[in-house]
Amino acid sequence: MREGKEGRGGFEGLDACVHCGFCLQACPTFLATGDEADSPRGRIELMRALERGDLTASDPALAYHLDRCLGCRGCEPVCPSGVQYGIGLEAARQRIAEARGVSRLARLALWALTSPKVSRVVYWFARGFRATGIPRRLAGWGRLRFAMGMLAATQGGEMRTKARKVLSPPSPALLFRGCVQQGLFSHVHDATVRTLGVNGYQVGEVKGQVCCGALHAHAGLLDEARALARVNVAAFGEGDEPIVVNSAGCGALMKEYGHLLCHEQGERFGARVRDVTELLAGDAMRGPIGGAPLDMHVAYDPPCHLLHAQGVAVPPLRLFAAIPLLELVSVPGAAECCGSAGLFTLLEPEMSRAVLAAKIERLRETAPQVVATGNPGCQMQIGAGLAAAGVATRVRHPVELLDDAYRAAGRYE
Amino acid sequence: MRLLYSMTAPSPLARDLAAIVGAKHVREALAARVTYAMDGLPTHRRVPDLVVLPGTREELIAVVRLLAALDVPFVPRGAGTGLSGGALAGEGTVLIVLTRLNRIVRIDRANRLAVVEPGVVNAKLTAATKPLGLHYAPDPSSQTACTIGGNVAENAGGPHCLKYGVTANHILALEVLLADGSLVELGSPGGETWGPDLVGVFVGSEGNFGVATRITVRLTPVPRAVRTLLADFTSIRTAGEGVSAIIAAGIVPAALEMMDQSCIRAVEDSVYAAGYPRDAAAVLLVEIDGRNADAVVAEADAVADLLRTAGARTVRTAASEAERERLWQGRKKAFGAMGRLSRDLVVQDAVVPRSALPDVLETIYGIAQRYGLVVSNVFHAGDGNLHPNISFDATDPALKQRVEAASAEIMSTCIAAGGTITGEHGVGLDKLRYMPLIFDAESLGAMQALRRVFDPEERVNPGKVVPVHACREWASLARAS
Repeated sequence: MREGKEGRGGFEGLDACVHCGFCLQACPTFLATGDEADSPRGRIELMRALERGDLTASDPALAYHLDRCLGCRGCEPVCPSGVQYGIGLEAARQRIAEARGVSRLARLALWALTSPKVSRVVYWFARGFRATGIPRRLAGWGRLRFAMGMLAATQGGEMRTKARKVLSPPSPALLFRGCVQQGLFSHVHDATVRTLGVNGYQVGEVKGQVCCGALHAHAGLLDEARALARVNVAAFGEGDEPIVVNSAGCGALMKEYGHLLCHEQGERFGARVRDVTELLAGDAMRGPIGGAPLDMHVAYDPPCHLLHAQGVAVPPLRLFAAIPLLELVSVPGAAECCGSAGLFTLLEPEMSRAVLAAKIERLRETAPQVVATGNPGCQMQIGAGLAAAGVATRVRHPVELLDDAYRAAGRYE
Repeated sequence: MRLLYSMTAPSPLARDLAAIVGAKHVREALAARVTYAMDGLPTHRRVPDLVVLPGTREELIAVVRLLAALDVPFVPRGAGTGLSGGALAGEGTVLIVLTRLNRIVRIDRANRLAVVEPGVVNAKLTAATKPLGLHYAPDPSSQTACTIGGNVAENAGGPHCLKYGVTANHILALEVLLADGSLVELGSPGGETWGPDLVGVFVGSEGNFGVATRITVRLTPVPRAVRTLLADFTSIRTAGEGVSAIIAAGIVPAALEMMDQSCIRAVEDSVYAAGYPRDAAAVLLVEIDGRNADAVVAEADAVADLLRTAGARTVRTAASEAERERLWQGRKKAFGAMGRLSRDLVVQDAVVPRSALPDVLETIYGIAQRYGLVVSNVFHAGDGNLHPNISFDATDPALKQRVEAASAEIMSTCIAAGGTITGEHGVGLDKLRYMPLIFDAESLGAMQALRRVFDPEERVNPGKVVPVHACREWASLARAS
């Protein structure tokens, strides 16, 4: 169990809650159901009752409402008292996982998506199936068809480009590849390497790295998350190169490795982790080198684990600003969760779709050509929702857009 | 039929309610119900027997009629941000949660009114009307979360009510569902009606008279010119004198708020840090607004002069809308930031004559010191509406007793100064014990009698507002005479 300051396993993070309710309207699940039991304040009551022993971890209703939390942490940045909701939630989920185990579906998904040997085969098949174009045609709202839409949404651009030599002397950076991101979004990794190259970074590879463990941590499997974290900490070594991550969910957990592992080495590792947009925007927030104009309307959808968990708000906007003619359209409620939340979309489809529906409706109204978001789960979720709703908008990672602008500017020739 | 996750079969009442609203909108499991055990004032706890969340007006009506037929008491609840324990339902009582009734039915720009369902969030109504140059003026600090229905029940105030008036001044008409399931229309969207002001009677009735199903609110033009000043003081007394000076000069600011040091520091430690000086004993936040920019500037300058004369160390004017917004967010989220001081909190809501502010504040700090407690003050100084917050750790029973005693003493101080026990939070459960301090048995009996006009069986929000024992005393007195 994670050891907190007072040895309460993370529950102490909830002490600051005075029940003001200012979090309610920031919670996507409360907005979907209007039910206090589906709100941050209500869930904090459940977690406190769990810690006190008033309710047990095997109480089905307690688990039901805590399972329905997206873990988006949209409540944290609006909390005047700075309640550490995410930390409390992980502690509670670990208790629940210990009491009733992890659902078979979650186990299966973790096995298929994150275990190195199995996932290689799974992703190989998935890519092959994606190439047939069948998933795109089958996309819809039903459980299976939604999964088809998710797979179709992982399709990258058609261009394949080798990066030109980087400016000298380059700064080194190390790429974190991850599981889903490596399996289905390798084009985002390519764009990351190329765009960072243009901006003076030589991106190196690290052998022996594994899944970040975020999906495990969210499922309450903290020990498994820790085991993965230890492997990554060892693999990336003790250098001081930044570790570049282009998946918000991974970056959020990796920045918190110090807290997860409770040791200084993890702390140092966490301090090196940077979202790709942070590196591109630069410390002074000057933004990356400019690209060629791209005449398109783009809606930016900040991933919760980038905006709320990492507090990275401005850097992605600096990327868009480096692309002339690209027009950012503002979509109301863009900062609200899309309902993806890692395995949530698979395990809690009803709540997940309810949360997504509002976003898709607003995207239909504003009709951008591209939705840009920097997290694989969000890309798949929003992509599948758009496909199911018959909206032609595509979902892409912000670095893919910058990559296109650099290609058009001849920076890769 | 089974509720989604319940281990046991649902009770007959839950089954009947589920037939109206759908099984997933009835909560019977203990874990779901305990999340409704408190409102914004966690010192009171009551777990409802059942929670039902109707999604339409028709469902709400059907639910109330069913409960009437079965003679089951119920409590209506909005977002649960109230601060008097008013929206709690205890044993044998059904909690009707109105958050799903959140549609803005109509916005009438020409007549400057809107018709809303009770679950519409206060700030969302203003957001929806702002593009038309209109807003809903009452702005309780919890406006980003609280509902219009709850505002009506509590006659909610807010910083800008100093100039614009409280909720009661902004409600034109109501459709009310009485406890017996009948619908009545109160007031008129067109303005004045003949006869007694029944809207005025209903607003602030704390859920004792029925449930507002449709609320017609007045919309107010967004002021064209605004100036927001932040003045800081090295003593509470001089800050209080600054307030008196403004009022004495005949100036009516849009808002006039005070925060003391402990409150300033809690806010400055939070994400809502507004740049209040941490070393100040108190700050005043003063807003002047109007149609004419020159007049607003002139009045703001006059206020700044008055504050400097009263002893303000600095007076700063918000240079941009963003800065103004920050200054206000800090003030409005101050209550929520108190969790930084200690894990538990009680907030009081007393009103004193404005001229008595400096003396009363001094006495309150004296009481806190005597009991060894931390008290933070954040309040509507212009109205003399105090909100002393006492931070403590409720796991220590001795401490809890001290807090209770200090609270009672603070309340008696305010009453002795010519004040009263609530400005805007209502009586609910929390202030029942203070009611006999300001009302005699006959007055309390009259309140009970009025309530019985609307709800003869006292089935809506039972046990709140009017202390029952006081009425019993009154009733026996009446019989004896």
